[in-house]
Amino acid sequence: MKLLGAVIILVRALVVLFLVTFMITVLVRLLPGDPVDTLMPFATDEGREQLRSELGLNINIVQYYFRWLGDFVRGDFGQWYASTGDGGGVPIGQMLGVALPRSLFLMFYTMVFSLTLALPIGIFLGYRADTRIDRTLSNAMFALSSIPSFALGLSLVYILGLRLDLLPVLGYVPFTESPGEHFKSMVLPVLSLSVGLIAGFSRLLRVDTIATLREDFVTMASSKGLSNGWILWRHVLRPSSATLMTSAALQMGGLIGGAVVIEIIFALNGFGMLLNTAIVTRQYLAIQSLVALIAVAFIFFNLVVNVLYAVVDPRVRSARG
Amino acid sequence: MSTNKTYTVPTYAAFGWLTFSTFLAVFGPLLPVESFRTIHGDFLDAKPFTAGHWFGVDSNGYDIFSGIINGARLSLFVAFITVGIGGFIGSLLGITAAYYRGRYDSIVNTAFNVVLAVPNLVLALALVAVLATNVDINEAVPTWRRLATLMISLTVVIIPILGRIARASALTWSGREFVVAARSMGMRDRHIIWRHIVPNVLPVLIAVGFLAVGVVIIAEASLSLLGVGIPDGASWGGMIARGRNDLEYNPHALYFPIIALALTVISTNHLGDVLRGRLDRREARL
Repeated sequence: MKLLGAVIILVRALVVLFLVTFMITVLVRLLPGDPVDTLMPFATDEGREQLRSELGLNINIVQYYFRWLGDFVRGDFGQWYASTGDGGGVPIGQMLGVALPRSLFLMFYTMVFSLTLALPIGIFLGYRADTRIDRTLSNAMFALSSIPSFALGLSLVYILGLRLDLLPVLGYVPFTESPGEHFKSMVLPVLSLSVGLIAGFSRLLRVDTIATLREDFVTMASSKGLSNGWILWRHVLRPSSATLMTSAALQMGGLIGGAVVIEIIFALNGFGMLLNTAIVTRQYLAIQSLVALIAVAFIFFNLVVNVLYAVVDPRVRSARG
Repeated sequence: MSTNKTYTVPTYAAFGWLTFSTFLAVFGPLLPVESFRTIHGDFLDAKPFTAGHWFGVDSNGYDIFSGIINGARLSLFVAFITVGIGGFIGSLLGITAAYYRGRYDSIVNTAFNVVLAVPNLVLALALVAVLATNVDINEAVPTWRRLATLMISLTVVIIPILGRIARASALTWSGREFVVAARSMGMRDRHIIWRHIVPNVLPVLIAVGFLAVGVVIIAEASLSLLGVGIPDGASWGGMIARGRNDLEYNPHALYFPIIALALTVISTNHLGDVLRGRLDRREARL
């Protein structure tokens, strides 16, 4: 029974993946104009022919899709064409090698930072529900969670970067080059993306904490004489974090989108910036492969959360049979 | 919210702000304010509270106050229209899918999941790129066409978000006794959906619709920052995108539109939240 359920979830995710990548293929095909003229206006006839066959313009879309999918699965994401070039270009995989770590660092720091702050805040607000401090902080959290990350990012650039001159406002420093500078260059982008997440996460955790605190096992624990801190961290946090986890997984999608804008504001040259450049300059293969990568990552996160649910909350395990 | 009172001060404030900005959006052109396109050459870089230019003037000579009023028009117009149309199509699909179930339902549901698998900003960006460009990449696209494509793209983004909510809500209502009773009495499907399911699903949709308005306003502004929004810096997002280049010397060109945008999103989110809270309490009583 359990295995069957897992298989069904997996099959469904695969079907969605197939359809998403196919939808993107169709969308890229619909881009107006002749790709060859757009990508390589100065190419020779040979170069044109080569590009034509690489972009699958001479075969039908279904054939092309499966050829692309075969390459994609093997890790060949296609070429990034240079307009001055004549056939060929830079492999997109190679560009990802530079861009992807930057975005992954950004997301990793953002998630870690948001969760480390959101967990204690959410639990605390749930514990102190309906006191004055809870009401004040909850309202503030609500307002913060509504402010878009770019608005926050631009304000932070102005205050911390330009007026107080504390932090660099542009560019990215690789970790291997100088860890100190690396963290400095990440502070503002991470902060801009995190504030909304912290607010959103702690609001969710607060609601679930309030519900968990009413359960019998909490009364039991406190009548055993366990300290409040122990009860909150060891007994309440785990069963209260289910909604938080779903939200965190769903937010990954929003985070990728928000990161596109943040990467551009802070000139991080990461994945989001690569995607934006690809779309604006109509890098046909790049658009297709990059959006497909995002969809894969997004669906993967959701699957992981489905599994983690059962690990975090044993009640889910038994309820699902 | 945590208090027992239905309407609190923030609720009135949120409602007030939305009414006020909608008023500006609708009657903006009739107000005794100069057009946002007028260039005030004598007031370049004027700081806020300059006589005649309350919010200051940016480095191009555009009055910020006029810009905000005109921006309200565009930002709110885009948001309400897209959420309206997207919500209508989404709920039509979602409700019928939940009612008829079967293969139709699984097709609709899979379609929603497929669209939702691409983050909404990335999807909107890709759609705008496909729809709003000419055959020649360097040829300019007329403003109305960019506005139309922007709205179509955002509508496509909204459809599955609201559609999924509508479907989930309609699923619970389709199983209720009164629906079963109506069906067993031979009431036609269209009547049951229209009379028994839609009125119950609608409040949830309106609550989530408010949240969706916030999503659209932010998405539109983000697209402006990415350079594919409404041209000429006309919307709030466009003003932010333009002000960004001059952040160091004219921060006011940036923070007024940011404040307007943030207040609007906070208000719509808050109202959506309050409405949902009221619904939950009603549900609990039933």
